[in-house]
Amino acid sequence: MESLGSARLDPAPNRVPARNLDPWPAPSPPPRGGGRARRSRRQGNLLVAPALAVVAIVTLLPIAFSVFMSFTDPAAGPDGFTFTWVGTENYQSVLGSEVFRHAVQFTVLFTVITVIIEMSLGIAVALVIDRMTVGRSFAIASMLVPWAVITVISAQLWNYIFNGVYGIANALLMWLHLIDEPTSFLSTPNSALIALGMADVWKTTPFVAIIALGGLQMIDRELYQAAAIDGAGPVARFRAITLPLLRPALVTALTFRVLQSFGLFDLPFILTHGGPGHTTETVGVLAYDVLFGDLNFGAGAAISSLTTVMVLIAALVFFKVFGFAKEVADRG
Amino acid sequence: MGRSRFAEALRPANLLGYALGIFFLLPVIWLVITGFTPPKGLGKFPPDLLPWPPSLTNFSRAFGENDFLGFLINTVIVGVVTTVLVLLLGIPAAYALARTAMRGKAAILIGLVTISMFPPIGVIPPLYVGLRTIGWLNSYQALVLPYLAFNLPFAIWILRNTFREVPEEIEQAGEIDGAPTWRIIVQLVVPQAVPGIFVAGIFTFVACSTEFLMALSFNTNSDVQTVPVGIALFGGQFEMPYGTIFAASAASLLPLVILVLVFGRWIVSGLSQGSMKG
Repeated sequence: MESLGSARLDPAPNRVPARNLDPWPAPSPPPRGGGRARRSRRQGNLLVAPALAVVAIVTLLPIAFSVFMSFTDPAAGPDGFTFTWVGTENYQSVLGSEVFRHAVQFTVLFTVITVIIEMSLGIAVALVIDRMTVGRSFAIASMLVPWAVITVISAQLWNYIFNGVYGIANALLMWLHLIDEPTSFLSTPNSALIALGMADVWKTTPFVAIIALGGLQMIDRELYQAAAIDGAGPVARFRAITLPLLRPALVTALTFRVLQSFGLFDLPFILTHGGPGHTTETVGVLAYDVLFGDLNFGAGAAISSLTTVMVLIAALVFFKVFGFAKEVADRG
Repeated sequence: MGRSRFAEALRPANLLGYALGIFFLLPVIWLVITGFTPPKGLGKFPPDLLPWPPSLTNFSRAFGENDFLGFLINTVIVGVVTTVLVLLLGIPAAYALARTAMRGKAAILIGLVTISMFPPIGVIPPLYVGLRTIGWLNSYQALVLPYLAFNLPFAIWILRNTFREVPEEIEQAGEIDGAPTWRIIVQLVVPQAVPGIFVAGIFTFVACSTEFLMALSFNTNSDVQTVPVGIALFGGQFEMPYGTIFAASAASLLPLVILVLVFGRWIVSGLSQGSMKG
């Protein structure tokens, strides 16, 4: 792996620092200015190459291939796939279809609604936990449970909770006298959206809360005392100290949430399967149905490629707006 | 003393915190209760909040007639193999990005973050074609390979942050002795970075055990399917077998919940690290 492979290694590393006390200069490394840096560079390239190769072969290469597929009519045969070039035909049919346009609209709408709720709720939860003096680890542990719950299980669970005949949501609303008889939540578009939103908010608010809590705990408490002495009330302190200092944490949570939400699949696939009709169909669910339901790999590849492009554009916008990339570069 | 402690525990912020904790736990508690509800009690309205006596019928259906154990075993195999591979490839890469003088480190890191945000649906059609062409559909490697690639970026990110915290003198000592880089990593850096390596490993394992889209698309044979697919396909012809579904779900969530409770502090630090520093 390296030219110095045969060199000796002190078997007891904890004795090594004693060498620093050695009055005589160490015999190695040779003090040739650029050589060391060059070796370190080459070493770095070698160490990073296998991981980057795997990532590139399994993510970047397929994305490029997906774009190629989207201009063809792929057909599965006994000897593998054949690809017949069809130009922009797939894109014309996808972009021209009402179902696709609706899926994009729904995905964007759902992302905006749930992310706004999750960010506000997540910050609120973090502020509460940050002020807890007893039982804080209980609160944090219970936040981690929804985070670790398999989304498919969460979707089945909320499907059961919102069951139109015997779901506990109906029992609760009737007990509160908000409704008189069980309603079928998943068969009207608006209540199906609410059911999906509840399930999503329950599962991902803890993610935002934990990131926000990490940010809160890095804020110097003395700032608040100083502001209080200057006569700043709780709201003023929140706006002048908490929010600006929490910004990096919130930006990251927001970026991750928005981009993940664009690829939303598990939850709508199980909880509503895009229904009623196509009203809660996300781009991800539509792509899956076109691929494995209609077995239309050309159109499926077109939808997949369009989804990737949309997420990429959104990522670049976020990086640009929040200076995300610059921050990474500075730290790198 | 005990009294003031009790008064402290009843402060509004604490009470609100307990309430929030219970609110986030409630759906999972309802899941577990449903798992123990006798099949007869499942269609009741309003439902019994605490059906007594608890019944194990759903569990025997899940693990007997539906052979759910196979899904759990597949999940553990895919998760463990992927996690080991992610660490084997991720540790050297993260070391290079944390410590060496290589060029383009910032660009690589930004690229990795961007890739980790890509929607998996974008690679489903080409990967399906590729896996089918090399005859890998319906196999463990059909999942291990994409899980490896999709989890490496975040793992590298976490590991790099951890390695940067390791005092550089430790490696310099090794370098002065002329030790090869791989030995410096294995013998000097890794022992100092165990918490971060655990965090990267737990995140990878949890991600593999919960992933659904690829698992559903690439493996249609139940011999190699993982838990999320098993739970999703439990659907009955006319009636959803919720009792069986939630008995199987409770059994699948138990190891994940234990993992999360035991390593909670590390997971929290991993989540906030991955975010604070990028």
